[in-house]
Amino acid sequence: MKDGSGEDQNVAPSVYSHVSRPGSHRYKNAKKGLPFNVMLVGESGLGRTTFLNTLCERMVVAKAEKTNTEQAHIAEPMQFKHHTVEMEEDGMKIILNIIDTPGFGDGIDNENCFMQIQEYLETQFDEVLAEENRIKRNTKFKDSRVHALVYFITPTGHSLREIDIEMMRRLGSRVNIIPVIGRSDSLTPRELVLFKQRIMNDIAQYEIPVFSFPNGEDEEDEETVEENAELRAMMPFAVVGCEEVVNEDGRPVRVRNYPWGMVQVDNDEHSDFDRLRYVLLNSHIGDLRDRTQNEIYELYRTEKLSGATASGAMDDMGGLQQAMPVA
Amino acid sequence: MSASDANSAKTQTTSGGIGIANLPNQLHKIVTKKGTNLSIMVVGESGTGKTTFINTLLTTELIEPLEDAARRKKQMDKTVDINIHKAELEEKMFNVKLNVVDTPGFGDYVNNNDCWLPVVDFIENQYEQYLRQEQQPVRKGVVDMRVHACLYFIRPNGHTLKPLDVRAMKAIGARVNLIPVIAKADTLSPTALRQFKKRVMDVIDAQSIRIYQPPVESDDEAMTVRNKDIISAVPFAIIGSTQEVKTADGRHVKGRQYPWGVAEVENDQHCDFKKLRSLLIRTHMLDLISTTEEVHYDKYRTTQMKTRKFGEPKPRKVDNKKFREEEEMLRKRFTEKVKLEENRFRQWEQKLIAERDRLNKDLEQEHNLVKQLESEIEAISNVNSPNGKFFRK
Repeated sequence: MKDGSGEDQNVAPSVYSHVSRPGSHRYKNAKKGLPFNVMLVGESGLGRTTFLNTLCERMVVAKAEKTNTEQAHIAEPMQFKHHTVEMEEDGMKIILNIIDTPGFGDGIDNENCFMQIQEYLETQFDEVLAEENRIKRNTKFKDSRVHALVYFITPTGHSLREIDIEMMRRLGSRVNIIPVIGRSDSLTPRELVLFKQRIMNDIAQYEIPVFSFPNGEDEEDEETVEENAELRAMMPFAVVGCEEVVNEDGRPVRVRNYPWGMVQVDNDEHSDFDRLRYVLLNSHIGDLRDRTQNEIYELYRTEKLSGATASGAMDDMGGLQQAMPVA
Repeated sequence: MSASDANSAKTQTTSGGIGIANLPNQLHKIVTKKGTNLSIMVVGESGTGKTTFINTLLTTELIEPLEDAARRKKQMDKTVDINIHKAELEEKMFNVKLNVVDTPGFGDYVNNNDCWLPVVDFIENQYEQYLRQEQQPVRKGVVDMRVHACLYFIRPNGHTLKPLDVRAMKAIGARVNLIPVIAKADTLSPTALRQFKKRVMDVIDAQSIRIYQPPVESDDEAMTVRNKDIISAVPFAIIGSTQEVKTADGRHVKGRQYPWGVAEVENDQHCDFKKLRSLLIRTHMLDLISTTEEVHYDKYRTTQMKTRKFGEPKPRKVDNKKFREEEEMLRKRFTEKVKLEENRFRQWEQKLIAERDRLNKDLEQEHNLVKQLESEIEAISNVNSPNGKFFRK
């Protein structure tokens, strides 16, 4: 696995420490591959598909087929497209499930998009909830809860747009949101710095819940604390997608070629892509999974159950309901 | 003069010249003195480089970037504003009164339904204003704010035109010279840019969107070639920058400095800025103005005059939703106020009635008292004179 930043491949403490935690039956399957579910959300043209291909280091999705010009005035409805790729990172096998959302924000009125994504996220939670309460559980149950949502922000250079604010606000409690700036090669370094600052100001101002690399409760490792602070200062990550691979000194380099120069995707001075990849697939994969299970899912579970008992609703909750007298 | 002479106007070249050829010079002097009016509108989502483009075009900061506080206020505003920036340009004694119309808020929200209506309304209102002024008895000092060119900034998403772009351009292109522009072109590689341009033009053709077609043929060979060159570049891919930077080979140019190179504004290999500038100002400004007057304005005028009498004001269109909501609110407030006043009056009325009753009662009491006294007097008078004739007065 190529690591462009040339950083020390220190063992990411979070992932391995969980393997030894009692009761984490999920990680027994580490040999088969750790399932990691990531959703990509953003308007078309922000490099979502290219990001997917660049992340997986192969052409997972070909360029989108062009729609009929006659239909160009009608917005395509949002879809959920699933892709599964087996990755190997630092000797660890990861089953990367990516959910792409073409059609998000492309219409004239996009109010519906948020609802659709929220429903999708909650459906996955519902399935796990139902599974947990079965008397006889399915050992082969596939956990398709989304562990991270990568949200692509348009590089306007100004600040967040209404759709960005609404989107992250509404879904921040249901999934770990990692905001990134798509097509960041349209901003000069100075513009990028100012843009990032303004975005973080907006996030603070509107109290938008994004994944902010929190330190664990009993996090003692100074390096981890420092690393998290560093990542927090980098937010939101500026990404560029690879368009072609050229040969430089015999090594393949992923680039974007312009008449005035060549952007190197894996170069830390040109983009934050490499850092983000490391976060997603290596250093914070455990944190993201854990937060989804321990905080986000638990919160949803509490809400759902307390809401359900209050109304006495007969859901697909199997065994749980049998314990309660039906009024 | 024979009949044949009248029918076939002979071209006579006077040998010495009587000075007719001097007319263009005279016209030149008159036009130079008069100056002209030019209105350009920029439409597109925020962050597409509209402000930077205008400032680059005019080599001066006509539109200032928004302060953070103002920008935050606009973020969740949900309205499209029309901002007009005026400037007077002078070059070699020739004056141009320039109006730049900006449309902040266009396409910036979650729900962008009908966001092109304020744009279209503005364009038509200018025609309307001009029409009315023409119909006045005194026509001096006509204010002409008719839009001569509308630049539509397309976000370079590398795929195709968005439905919003299609709907908006259709509505706008039918009323004004529409020039599609690909914003922030330095985010697309040359191949991607070529494909995107072709795709955009395909959609424009398929959807019958009317865009500005500059005349190609001209007497001057070089001119024709240049025109063809300009037209082949539509939609124009532009990069905007007001800053001067140094390139790798030491030149000082207007451009954007990236870690991987400098994207130059005035380099035809990098973007179409020079071609667009040529179109807007150097070569086709006159055509833009005349097509606005002769084609678009005339179309408006014809349709309006067919249905309206001379001098009649324009019938008000159905206002957009936000105004309807405001109207509802005002109406509610008004009804509430009326109710309040009515209550007040009613209370007042009650008070007056109560007062009247009280006074009436008092009056009755007094009346009774008087009656009593009268009867007492009668009684006394009866006692004093049995027949009572003595006191009858």
